[in-house]
Amino acid sequence: MACNPRNTFPGAVFNSRERSVDLYDGVFGAGDGLGLEDVQRNGGIEVDYRGNEVTVETFIRLLTDRFPSSYPRSKRLVTDERSNILIYMTGHGGNEFLKFQDSEEIGAVDLADAFEQMHEKRRYNSILFLVDTCQAGTLLPSLRSPNIIAAGSSKKDQSSYSHHADQDIGIAVIDRWTYYNLEFLEREVTSTSSNKTIGQLFDSYDPLLVHSDTEVRYDLFEGGAQKARERRVLDFFGNVQAVEMGGDTEEEQQWREDLVGLKRLIERNMQAREDAALHPLLSEATITAAEAPLGLLKKFQVVSAKATSGWSKGVGGAMALVSLGVGWSMASYFEY
Amino acid sequence: MASDAPQATGDFLPSEDGEPVNAVEAAKVVQSPPPEQPKSIWTRRSIIFSFWAIVVCFGLPLWIRTTTVYRADLPLRLMQQWADGLTCQFEVPLHVVVEAPGVSPTVAERLAQTLEEYYNEQNFFPIHRLRVTLSDLPQYDDSLQSPGSDRTSLAGASSNTVLTVRLKPSESESTALSRLDPYEAVLDVYYSPQHLETTRTAESHTRWPFSDTIVGEIQKVFAEEQATLAHLFINSGSPVKIDHLDEILYPQRKEKLARRATRSFKYAPVYHLTFSLFTPAATPSAWEIKAALDEYLEPLLRSFTTISNFTIDTQIQLFASFSPSIHGPLYNAESRLWTLQKTDLSGFINAAEWPLSPSIGEGPTINFILYVPGERGTPLVIAETGGTSWLIPQWGGVQILNLERDSGDRSMLTEADLKQVVFTFADQLTSLLGLPTSPASHALRISSLTRSHTISLILSASSTLGSLARLTQKLPQISIPDTVAESVDMTIHHLESACNGLKAGEFNRALEHARTAEAEAEKAFFEPSMVGQVYFPDEHKVAVYLPLLGPVAVPLIMAVIKEVRAWRAARRKGG
Repeated sequence: MACNPRNTFPGAVFNSRERSVDLYDGVFGAGDGLGLEDVQRNGGIEVDYRGNEVTVETFIRLLTDRFPSSYPRSKRLVTDERSNILIYMTGHGGNEFLKFQDSEEIGAVDLADAFEQMHEKRRYNSILFLVDTCQAGTLLPSLRSPNIIAAGSSKKDQSSYSHHADQDIGIAVIDRWTYYNLEFLEREVTSTSSNKTIGQLFDSYDPLLVHSDTEVRYDLFEGGAQKARERRVLDFFGNVQAVEMGGDTEEEQQWREDLVGLKRLIERNMQAREDAALHPLLSEATITAAEAPLGLLKKFQVVSAKATSGWSKGVGGAMALVSLGVGWSMASYFEY
Repeated sequence: MASDAPQATGDFLPSEDGEPVNAVEAAKVVQSPPPEQPKSIWTRRSIIFSFWAIVVCFGLPLWIRTTTVYRADLPLRLMQQWADGLTCQFEVPLHVVVEAPGVSPTVAERLAQTLEEYYNEQNFFPIHRLRVTLSDLPQYDDSLQSPGSDRTSLAGASSNTVLTVRLKPSESESTALSRLDPYEAVLDVYYSPQHLETTRTAESHTRWPFSDTIVGEIQKVFAEEQATLAHLFINSGSPVKIDHLDEILYPQRKEKLARRATRSFKYAPVYHLTFSLFTPAATPSAWEIKAALDEYLEPLLRSFTTISNFTIDTQIQLFASFSPSIHGPLYNAESRLWTLQKTDLSGFINAAEWPLSPSIGEGPTINFILYVPGERGTPLVIAETGGTSWLIPQWGGVQILNLERDSGDRSMLTEADLKQVVFTFADQLTSLLGLPTSPASHALRISSLTRSHTISLILSASSTLGSLARLTQKLPQISIPDTVAESVDMTIHHLESACNGLKAGEFNRALEHARTAEAEAEKAFFEPSMVGQVYFPDEHKVAVYLPLLGPVAVPLIMAVIKEVRAWRAARRKGG
């Protein structure tokens, strides 16, 4: 979006027509590391997938981590059973689908299947799934994995609207539901230790202002609506790293001696190993040698199985080519 | 009288033989076409039949073959059994070797026997089984003994020995009864002659208190490992029964294990260690980190070779500034120190600007950060504790080095400067790798880590197999390529080998098999081509097939219906 040729402010994306915060701009105080005398801007978001990379397939692969092993780690969702995940989707959508890139759509069933796979592989502890599209609530009934809190900006047969437009850019810059979500976060969640809950967030929506009814699904969450509404907003929206203070100096002293002693031990072990390599009683070396041919044998079996199937495929292909060639030459013969 | 010429009166009388007599009459009589010859009926029927034959014998199989999703056969029941923990009976035999050179062979034999008997009969943790043997080394001379001598590397005569119990005559009464060697897996037991007296009247049913005490010591050595394994089994929902759970996993230990689990990385065959130097000024701009790491950290990494490998990268970043979200260091005038609040520690690492956690390769990256404050910002400590280092769970460690020098010498950090730094990093590294803290001997800790990793990998690979089995049953429209079936077979093979290796006491081999099993199971589950994007609602299917096949199907179907009707009518008329 920022580099779209129609963008009047190239490289910048704003969330309101005041243009006070450029979401892509990360300007930090320079200083000499002692303090922050400069203005704090709140931009500097990191974008991992942009433009043509954003497709339904990529999204589902991202959720289920089905990438080839050469795919960089920074573009994967590296989570485990202790991670809380926030998924916020906004754009155009309809009855049980959401539009991607003007050319494809993701269905509610595919989304539910992706979450189910994540649950099977224990890739999350809990998920907060927020959708801001028309008829967003229709995406919610197909979900079936546990520990998901889901909210959509409008019910079935209801549209969601945009909030306001920027006359210079020429399009709407933010949607209504997103605008009121952002307002809650900016006004109420003021520090990294805030205790505002999901229930308070959902209660802050005023249907008269948002112009649509939010549909929420709590039943998948462990403990039902009550426990879900008690979860902190920062559990999903914030990312505060836990820290363990270092050990005391006594342990470090112990370590110094340990490491020095270890070094001597290792050297001696290496020496002993070299001596023992000439010793016939040492069984370790012979064990590994005996293992090796078995491993190779196994590998050969696998390789040869594949090779034969390739050969038959080649024969089939050659026969197809030959028959086509014969057909073509016969046809050209009959033509004359 | 009949006349040949038509009458002029205009009487339209039909002629006697029924033939029309003029054109108008001819128009009134409908002439039926000549009856079809059987040959043409047969031709028509065989044409229709041939069309349908091609559709059924050629078209239908082709359509089915090209539109069904290929699903390879998976041994679902076996996978489910592995996931439920029904296939592998976990058993960890602990081979202990007794070295008792100064003691007569009968007494030593009796000692070995009673140790095994007394330990196994209390059955405290049935998964651990003791197997005691006597070492067959010739008597060694006390005078040759040097601290931590290298005899134990050959002493057990097998790499399966978990612990060596070495009996030594006690020099005086005040020495402790037993002592664990800090580096090797050796328990030195000091005895005095009266301890061995009981066996002079050796009856197999008199209890030997000396043996009981040694069993108690061995039990203490393996106590933390028992707690770790119990914790693993409970968390994975395995059906392994564990008695005395409250004694093994009392609350403090449970909490300690939970903290260790949160802090340490998941097992990986290769870890990438990154050592970074950040400084807000232009100096120090070089550090002798390679020499320091080779000297002080390499032995530790070498001791881990049976478990994982390590790669090391280092970098320096000058003019590194803090993130704007933290308050930053505050000057405390009384102690004349710059202090960092505890709440600032989580945001200390400026993840946006400091180049960290790249994807170096497969396997997690453990980052170690050394921050050297600028000249005006020294010394910098944490406000509450006054310490200078902290650990970030599952990420790495941070340390602050306050240089006490003036600007002239600050440009290079020498090996001597880095010695203490590397020691702290080594301490943080062992915490991050999950090395247990309890048996006081390093080699015992490493072997305990090997065993607990093996079991946790077996449990994890089994549960991945179970997840894959459930997944294939829940999503019937996902394709399952052959590679997945191959990976599953390899996983099961390696899981069985790992389980057998555990039972045989060959823990390093069991860890290798478990490692391969886990890698193959993950490969099978995270197969890139199994993306669930093939859900089409039925209306879509109708919308695609109807315009394609409708116009072709209608004439064929109508032809058959007409033919069948005609055949039935002919049969009724004829029969």
